[in-house]
Amino acid sequence: MLRDPRARGALILPPIIQLFIFSSAATMEVKNIALAIVDLDRGPYAADVEQRLAGSRSFTRLPRYANVAGARAALDREQVVGILVLPSGFSPDLAAGRPASAQLLLDGRRSNAAQITAQYVSNVLADEGAPLSGLTGASEALSTATPGAGAPGSTSKPNAEVVIDNWFNPNLDYQWFMLPNLVGTLSLGVALMITALSVARERELGTFDQTLVSPATPVEIALGKLLPPLLVASVQATLYLLIVTLLYGVPFRGNLLVFYTAVLTFAEACAGVGLFISSLVRTQQQAFLGAFAVLLPFALLSGFATPIENMPWWLQFLTTINPLAHMLRLMQGLFLKGASVASLAQDLLRLLEIALCTTAAAVLLFRRRAA
Amino acid sequence: MSDTRARMRAWWQQLAAIMLKEAKQVSRDPSSWIIAVVLPLTFLFLFGYGISLDTTVIRVAVVREDDGRDARALAAALTDSKWFAVVAAHDRGSGERLLQDQLVKAVVIIPAEFGRRLDAENTTAQVQVLVDGAEPNTANYVHAYVNAIWNGFLAARGLERGSPRPVPVSLEARYWYNANAVSRWFLIPGSMTVIMTLLGTLLTSLVIAREHERGTLEALYATPLTRGQILIGKTLPYFLLAMVSMAVCVLTALLLFQLPLRGSFLTLGLVSAVFLVPALGQGLLISVTMRTQMAAAQLGLMTGYLPAMMLSGFLFDIRSMPPWLQVITLAIPARYMNVSLQTVFLAGDLWAVLVPNMLFMLAVGALFFGLTWRRLHKRLD
Repeated sequence: MLRDPRARGALILPPIIQLFIFSSAATMEVKNIALAIVDLDRGPYAADVEQRLAGSRSFTRLPRYANVAGARAALDREQVVGILVLPSGFSPDLAAGRPASAQLLLDGRRSNAAQITAQYVSNVLADEGAPLSGLTGASEALSTATPGAGAPGSTSKPNAEVVIDNWFNPNLDYQWFMLPNLVGTLSLGVALMITALSVARERELGTFDQTLVSPATPVEIALGKLLPPLLVASVQATLYLLIVTLLYGVPFRGNLLVFYTAVLTFAEACAGVGLFISSLVRTQQQAFLGAFAVLLPFALLSGFATPIENMPWWLQFLTTINPLAHMLRLMQGLFLKGASVASLAQDLLRLLEIALCTTAAAVLLFRRRAA
Repeated sequence: MSDTRARMRAWWQQLAAIMLKEAKQVSRDPSSWIIAVVLPLTFLFLFGYGISLDTTVIRVAVVREDDGRDARALAAALTDSKWFAVVAAHDRGSGERLLQDQLVKAVVIIPAEFGRRLDAENTTAQVQVLVDGAEPNTANYVHAYVNAIWNGFLAARGLERGSPRPVPVSLEARYWYNANAVSRWFLIPGSMTVIMTLLGTLLTSLVIAREHERGTLEALYATPLTRGQILIGKTLPYFLLAMVSMAVCVLTALLLFQLPLRGSFLTLGLVSAVFLVPALGQGLLISVTMRTQMAAAQLGLMTGYLPAMMLSGFLFDIRSMPPWLQVITLAIPARYMNVSLQTVFLAGDLWAVLVPNMLFMLAVGALFFGLTWRRLHKRLD
């Protein structure tokens, strides 16, 4: 198969393009937020809130609407993710030192982006009740004119603070999380697809019987089918390693030997699953679907998109037999965390067990079907 | 007059013949039924339970080096919080090891002298928090939770000493269409899009490539069938298959996952049918372009399924992507489908939202079918 230059291109190029595109796409950060503002207060404090929102990098558009109904139409069309309503009485209340409240209406259809937006807005508003440093001259006069508002602020402890230190990824860069994950996930797809379609293709084209009458034993043929994915996976892994570290500047803090051991063991585990499927089915279409039916759960239950800890316990249990879950932990450990070989050994061992199981199962089934 | 009518009848008969042939092929293959019913159910199940953005309890280690009242109160506030499951660590070293071994997501260190520094006017009491930043989303939640607990602790302490902190501006957040902001409610419509893409694009991408690979394509061309008949005949069975599985998905979503359906079934059917135009069109285009099923499958996976997962706004918000990528997403039918489905399920039949999205889907679909048409023509020469 490697002789075909087009197939060779198809194996190397697309994964790299995917690496580029998906690492840019896959972010849980919420940027470029558009938030509608309905200012029924028209006072200095409302203007200050608006100004602070505009000053935050997260908000790019803050269209103003005269009333909630107008803003709601924009929200329905997904032009804004939420509506901040500053009620009348907002400024007078704050100026008098009374608690004030604002309303935030969010688009629950995009609940994740909406929740993060709510976090940002509440951060901005939390500062509003404290002494009003960000206010213009006029409103500063307001707050000094009402000593009640300033006094409690000064009694709070300014000499206590929380210092947060982010390990492994100091800037909480989402790409640093995503790229090592993509290295694992993309090689899963390739290793699985190559083997899943291999036998089915020969069966469909009628060349399978020819291979069987060759002097090689079925076990030898099966093992031969498992070799190409290992080769492709290690070539791809090398490419990924170079791109991720050199181009994206993600640190690689682990051991190279462990990295390649992990890649090969993982590819073997996936190839075993692929060959198993391929021996089971009759057509390539079926093989493709079979591979797919495995690929999706593997990807979903690996911690790739959403954390494993968020899943119910029975699904968390299933992740222990998912090779990708172990592979992703290894990649995170190797790239970001610089984990010691000893602490990676557990996942590596599990991966090896899975690889042995899938290979054995695939070869056995292949021999039975070939006989 | 009768001549044209006879020709019309012949045209329909031919179309019926190829459709019957394809339908037979689809329905005889037991895997088709697995595809239409079992696969969507499994996927929806996995999506529904497996994917959740609602953070559950986070494991955190607390190192308390101070034995004073304040330090205990803060540690207790951390332990009592519903967000954290607290593991006690004896000293910094063991706390850091827990973090390194991925057993906890964060370590909160309340240093020695914490209480005294808090009482004294001229010193700063610091609480140190080490967070596992490898996964930024969870790290951000940890930041927010720790800050909330810290502020609560300071407020309670101030209240005890008779100096309440100023009441800050309170924010009442209300989620329209999804009052509890359950992530499942917006993820399940997205999962349906992925499943429909799988059936519509991936399966059809193999249809003509298969004939080509087996060498039966020439035979098909030798029949009196026109291009239009071949195209319709090849796609209609898959269209029906996808609609059946969509129905299965919708029932599961409503009954098992308690998703509300605020729009009508009719609109839902219409949106699904419209989405299948670009989805099937894309599959056919791949199918006539690629010569082997393997290559077609790969291309279908890359241009159909993966973008539906990653670039459609299903998991990742499109507006947060870099501008060049946002432009690319305009060509992805799944993007329009996601918005439409989320709207029909959660908001209702908002035609102002649905009509533009459906028009986009039809436009992309027309493009795909047009290109397929041209490529089929070239093959004939």
